[in-house]
Amino acid sequence: MSGSPQQPATAQTTGRSVVVFSDDVHLDRVAMTAALRSLAEVATVVATSDADDGALDGDALASADVITFDALGVAVVAREPGELAASLAATGAGAGIVSVEPEHVLHAIVVEQPAARAEFSDDDAFTWGLRATRVDASSATGQGIRIAVLDTGLDFAHPDFAGRAITSRSFVTGLPVDDGHGHGTHCAGTAAGPARPGQGRRYGIASQATLFVGRVLDDSGAGADAGILAGIDWAITNGCRIISLSLGGDVRTVSTAYETVGRRALAAGALIVAAAGNNADRRRGDPGFVGIPANSPSIMAVAAVDSDLRIAEFSAAGNPVAGGAVDLAAPGVAVYSAWPMPRRTNTISGTSQATPHVAGIAALWSQVTGDTANALWATVVGAARRLDLPAADAGAGLVQAPGSASL
Amino acid sequence: MASAGPDVRVTVTVADSALAEIEQLAGRLRRAGMAVDAVLGAIGIITGSVASARLASIRTLPGVAAVEEQTTFQIAPPDADVQ
Repeated sequence: MSGSPQQPATAQTTGRSVVVFSDDVHLDRVAMTAALRSLAEVATVVATSDADDGALDGDALASADVITFDALGVAVVAREPGELAASLAATGAGAGIVSVEPEHVLHAIVVEQPAARAEFSDDDAFTWGLRATRVDASSATGQGIRIAVLDTGLDFAHPDFAGRAITSRSFVTGLPVDDGHGHGTHCAGTAAGPARPGQGRRYGIASQATLFVGRVLDDSGAGADAGILAGIDWAITNGCRIISLSLGGDVRTVSTAYETVGRRALAAGALIVAAAGNNADRRRGDPGFVGIPANSPSIMAVAAVDSDLRIAEFSAAGNPVAGGAVDLAAPGVAVYSAWPMPRRTNTISGTSQATPHVAGIAALWSQVTGDTANALWATVVGAARRLDLPAADAGAGLVQAPGSASL
Repeated sequence: MASAGPDVRVTVTVADSALAEIEQLAGRLRRAGMAVDAVLGAIGIITGSVASARLASIRTLPGVAAVEEQTTFQIAPPDADVQ
């Protein structure tokens, strides 16, 4: 597609004219040339029908006084359009000529590619994800909001959670709630870590939310429905408004259990947020699909973007089943957060890391607006920053925290 | 019970109309041969295990909306880049 985006008054012209012939002389080269000669002295006339294949080369187009495009019934004439138009009006000899217009210079419509520089980066004060989601500029803390992270547990010896009132329970038979993996501590850190960690930049969002840690995955990161559903039941019973699930299975079909649970959670005032899944391999052209439980219509599915706000290589795209869409995107590449001691922090990637960004920010919004469940869902999605990405990949866009003026 | 087939872990979704009597439904599931692990009243779910040959019969019990085999989830190991 090409054309000039400029207004005619300011469009560039060449000084030549475009003459359009009437339908009755169109295709009749002799009649077209005669009509032109009645308007102006023209020497060199070349026609597309002279060329072997009907196409004129650039030299011929540049040097001729007149070029007739026989098949179109159009000629380009090396005369000012005003001169030709005046002649046309004066002689009345325009029989066979419909119009004389200036020849314009047209430009291909080029879409500017986004600059290949990082939009956000970790700095001394904040992770790139807290910058991108504007948590850095939010005065909300999630105070008074109960948020549940159901994962591999938490490192209760971590200094960044010292002195924090945390309610916890293991739903994995024979295992304590202490994190033997790291994933759960990382997710809890992003969702609800402190505003001022003991060292390093801030990575936690709802720093004063009341944290509920349910262990539903074992030290290898495995867990079955029984423990996950028991964790959700526990969180709802305890009045959690947000339940963060950084887990998923590569199953396209919606589970009746998870969809029903998502709906009942909303009815009870709790919003379940789940990872869209890491089953895409976008470099090889595979967009993956949102699996269970995030593919349930009443569970929010979260995709991962990088610090350039591009979709992550691994981030699953919407699945055509009802509810299989991605709802929101959040930082999920090179995410710095808490990790079991002695390591203290770790930087990892996944839709698992994007999910607690949404959970923490939902807690901020719930504190600010009082919204819960479906109203909270609408508020969080409505506040998203639109991204230059397909909705199938990133849903409504990048999750954003409430501003400092909201409280 | 060799003829009843191997046990499968299941998630039973309780129908909206039966939420108020979820404990009674758990009793009916037990009598139908299901080993009930948990009755989750807040979300209307009953988890447990049952011989595969009895799956069809527990699906038809009044108050049961769905019976699904449990899914096992697996996240990546701690040293993986993508989790």
